Amino acid sequence: MAEPFLEVEALSKSFGGLQAVKNIRFRMEQKEILGLIGPNGAGKTTLLRLLTGILKPDSGSVRFHGKQLVGMKTWDIVNLGVACTFQNMRPFRRLPIIANVMVSCLSPRSMRRGEWVKVVEARAMDALEFAGISDMALEKASSLSQGDLKRLEVARAVATDPELLLLDEPFGGLSPAETDLMAKSIRRLHKGGRFGRLHSEGPAMIIVEHKLQQLMKIVDRIVVLNFGTLLAEGTPDEVVNNPQVIEAYLGQGGGQ
Amino acid sequence: MVAAGLYLKRFYTVVRKEVLVLPSRIIVALFFIVLLGMPLISRNPYLIRVIVLTSIFAILAASWDLLSGFTGQMNFGHALFFGVGAYTSALLNIHLHLPPWGSVPLGAAAAVLTGLIVGIPCLRLKHTYLALTTMAFPIILMGIVFALPDVTGGELGISGLQRISNSLIGNYYIYIVIMLVLCTIMWKITDSHTGIIFHAIREDELAVKASGINTTRYKLLAFCLSGFFAGISGGLYAHYMRIAGPSTLEVSMSFSVVIWAVFGGMATIYGPVAAVFILFPLLEFVRFWPEYRTMIFAVVVLLILLYMPEGLIPWVRDKIEKGCPRCKIRNVATRKTCRVCTAGLD
Repeated sequence: MAEPFLEVEALSKSFGGLQAVKNIRFRMEQKEILGLIGPNGAGKTTLLRLLTGILKPDSGSVRFHGKQLVGMKTWDIVNLGVACTFQNMRPFRRLPIIANVMVSCLSPRSMRRGEWVKVVEARAMDALEFAGISDMALEKASSLSQGDLKRLEVARAVATDPELLLLDEPFGGLSPAETDLMAKSIRRLHKGGRFGRLHSEGPAMIIVEHKLQQLMKIVDRIVVLNFGTLLAEGTPDEVVNNPQVIEAYLGQGGGQ
Repeated sequence: MVAAGLYLKRFYTVVRKEVLVLPSRIIVALFFIVLLGMPLISRNPYLIRVIVLTSIFAILAASWDLLSGFTGQMNFGHALFFGVGAYTSALLNIHLHLPPWGSVPLGAAAAVLTGLIVGIPCLRLKHTYLALTTMAFPIILMGIVFALPDVTGGELGISGLQRISNSLIGNYYIYIVIMLVLCTIMWKITDSHTGIIFHAIREDELAVKASGINTTRYKLLAFCLSGFFAGISGGLYAHYMRIAGPSTLEVSMSFSVVIWAVFGGMATIYGPVAAVFILFPLLEFVRFWPEYRTMIFAVVVLLILLYMPEGLIPWVRDKIEKGCPRCKIRNVATRKTCRVCTAGLD
């Protein structure tokens, strides 16, 4: 039997007395886009941070292509092909934008392909081109707007050539027009192909998002969290009509 | 002959098109020329002594910048590397009769090892905690030095070291050339891809990890590189003064390094070097007014920090040059259009 692409088993994490993630289990197929939704404080970001090794889980396991990720260092996980973006963008503010992306291009995973794509600056530029901010490559990152910072986050993650991309609120703080652009970029990335010197097989994605309307358009399946536990799982239609989900979002009787 | 002529012509073109276009590059070129031509103007032993000591401390300040300015690992105990370099070369020179060209590199190797030993426990610490912890290491080593007076000479230190060269001018040139070469190497390191990762680690370590970079390895690399250059400067100092004493490990030594680097501008390499060349001779030449010497020093440093928080050298650089808004190439402040892309400079 082939190993599942991503398998999360009984994952738990608590901060002091607060159980942020409780006994979560789900599976994911290759090339799938999985939406991860839930009210504020449901543990979505914590779950993503557990997957990338930024936080260490109290118990449970995360298997990526059958490989145990729990206990690995963040950079090793990224070099296996799991990239993430941050909800509150974390650019290197005093560095030019191109240098922000060059850091990712210098990771062993990004450097592993043949000699002809080893020109770090060129690959960084192509990642910026993909994200649509290549015209500002030489500006300082501190001069970027919210929307462009989100794009920078995506460019940085894409530059590591991920197989699984974890996006934490890619639409957060964006205007409707910017949201549309970002959704387009995500769909384009998911299709895969060549972006200049960057080559992408079309990574699977887990997207944490509050803008449900936009999210529903791009995801295949949705996982709903509430108070750290898994509340529901299914296609967008199933989830929207699930009474438990409606209750979690709107309170009891909110659906009527 | 023809080939030599071609090379000369090429050299002239490079100088005219790359060096003479920017005031900062002209200043650096003048700095090299003046230092190398100094003995032609004056052979005053006191002046030469001040310049040599300044060069040694310039290496030390630049090595601090490589670690703390770039990766943001605030090291308040940089005298540790300096002292380890000095004591190791002194011990090797006195007991094993190694000539300076053997003892100084081995002293630097010992400092690299120290960098690893200090770096590994410090990896988990950040900001103030890191600063306080690193401050403790030279004090600990000083305790060891005093506890083993038979080996280290205790308070008196190890004296009677061999000079690198017995001629005044020969010595001067050896030190100046080593300083210029090492500072250029450090500047090249920070200008490379490794330098970008160092910068990024200072800005946001977690984001660097999430970019797939092994930050532990790079932080240790920074500690080792910094230890290497500081160790060389320590060894050179010991051979120049012909003594390695506990003063090389003093807290004031660690703080001088920090003051130099902050004064000149952190994360630039050339900033701290320039700062040492301004502050160290200044401190020497106000000796005629001994009571107020340190106070003048403090006032100068405070004024600079108050009005130029980025440091003196970046401030001066911004005054005499400006970046092109389109291609970001630097231009003389008096130009109206960019020298490369001809865009208007506001």
